[in-house]
Amino acid sequence: MIERDDHELRERFAGLRREDGAAVPAFRRSLAAARVGRNRRGLGIVAAAILALVALVVMLTMSNRHRPPVDIAGVRIHAPTDFLLKLPGAELLRTVPRLGRVSLNRRAL
Amino acid sequence: MSPTPEALEVELERLHPAAFGWALACSGGDRSAAEDALQASYLKVLDGRARFDGRASFRTWFFAVVRRTAAEHRRRNALGRLWPLAWLGPRADGRPDPAATLAHSETTGRLMAALAALPKRQREVLHLVFYQDLSIAEAAEVVGISLGTARTHYERGKAALKKRLDGDRE
Repeated sequence: MIERDDHELRERFAGLRREDGAAVPAFRRSLAAARVGRNRRGLGIVAAAILALVALVVMLTMSNRHRPPVDIAGVRIHAPTDFLLKLPGAELLRTVPRLGRVSLNRRAL
Repeated sequence: MSPTPEALEVELERLHPAAFGWALACSGGDRSAAEDALQASYLKVLDGRARFDGRASFRTWFFAVVRRTAAEHRRRNALGRLWPLAWLGPRADGRPDPAATLAHSETTGRLMAALAALPKRQREVLHLVFYQDLSIAEAAEVVGISLGTARTHYERGKAALKKRLDGDRE
């Protein structure tokens, strides 16, 4: 019984194999298509990489162009040793003296 | 020593019709998906990305490569369907394509429809044994399961297939 069932299934599958076999593409054609597809994919990857590189360069160039310029004249550098240069009465050198008024701060002396 | 590319090509050409049938089974009867999977498998073998180590027969080893490649293509297609409008494209979920079933004769179409209702592993084992004339041990090697598991899939699949085919007849 089991063998008869197997035989029947084998016949059905043989029919399927025959029908599939009638539509098998030629081996050489499949191989050629595979190689063409691979080359095309390779070219696509190279093209995508070049495109990404160009986009990156353009983005970097544009971002540099729109950045506000640094005002060097307005930059004041505070060195950690600035306090050593402070002199007693140094404010006298930065103020304009007025007649009849004492601008010297005695407490600072 | 690994075989030369020329020797590999001769072997692949000899196996081509059977490998196409297997690729069709792995791609749910989708001819275009089967051709893609088979072509990618050929390139894997000829480029050395899949190496034959001689532990199994060339046929079972190559069938395993085809099965893996078809699964990779299915996964890639499934990911591709996540893109907008991708749902408009064809679907390939590993089950036989209804259009492919209709393209066959009535008897073969019934067999394909009955196979489509089986779990994937049972379908694979039955195809390898009945269509490709492999032993259950060889089918186990191709699918990557133990002999005992393959035997279980074979027996259960055969019983389920017979039941469905008998049901159609009544």
